[in-house]
Amino acid sequence: MPAQNHDPDAEGDRPGRRPVPRWEEDFPIQTERDHYVARREFAKFLTLGSALLTLANVAIAFVGLRPKKDRPPATLIELASSVQPGGSLLFRYPTDQDPCILIRSTTGKFLAFSQVCTHLSCAVVHDPEHNQLFCPCHRGSFSETEGRPTAGPPTRSLPRIKLEWRDDDLYAVGIEV
Amino acid sequence: METRRQAVTLFTSVSLLIGIIVIIQLWLVAAALDALLGGQTAVLVPAAIASAVLLVINAGLLRLIVRLDSRVRRRTENDE
Repeated sequence: MPAQNHDPDAEGDRPGRRPVPRWEEDFPIQTERDHYVARREFAKFLTLGSALLTLANVAIAFVGLRPKKDRPPATLIELASSVQPGGSLLFRYPTDQDPCILIRSTTGKFLAFSQVCTHLSCAVVHDPEHNQLFCPCHRGSFSETEGRPTAGPPTRSLPRIKLEWRDDDLYAVGIEV
Repeated sequence: METRRQAVTLFTSVSLLIGIIVIIQLWLVAAALDALLGGQTAVLVPAAIASAVLLVINAGLLRLIVRLDSRVRRRTENDE
């Protein structure tokens, strides 16, 4: 029966529709449906990512608000009294893996900071001429008196080491982040 | 009821909005981590709350997509 014969080429000749080749009749690619499913699923995965990021933020808040451990024990800084004004001395606190720097300002005041640069963890050195702690890796510098960044890429202050005199000896007694 | 073609356009727009919110949340995570390492713990809870609010907005947008999807499916079934 000629009316029931389906001729794809004849359908493609209709005005306003592109010709549909025979292969597309046999293996149709439903682009619109494909886009529909892909974008719906993409939105779902983005929302899942959003949930994971919220979880990460809550975890960070939890870690930040967790009560701090007990203060590390006081550590004697040997030869501290031999440091001249404008000089510096390296020591380790609170563990042997944590380098710190003791500096004596030109006024004679003792100050100590972590020696690890807050940018990319290079070791900072004392620069008494400019009253600063200098990181040679990326030319970052920190204030000698407060440890806050004054130039270069670092954005966070150096952790300050609390000092205490006991008799004639200088002890590191805590860390002030 | 919307056609599938209209739904694709709406999905794209909503996905864009969700994407922008996810980028803001990424920035919040980076800022919160930086504050944690810098010892500024006061900003951590507001950052977490802001992130949760953004998640609620995203969930609302996703709900919109799910509802739209069911309407489009219903229409497709009716047409068939």
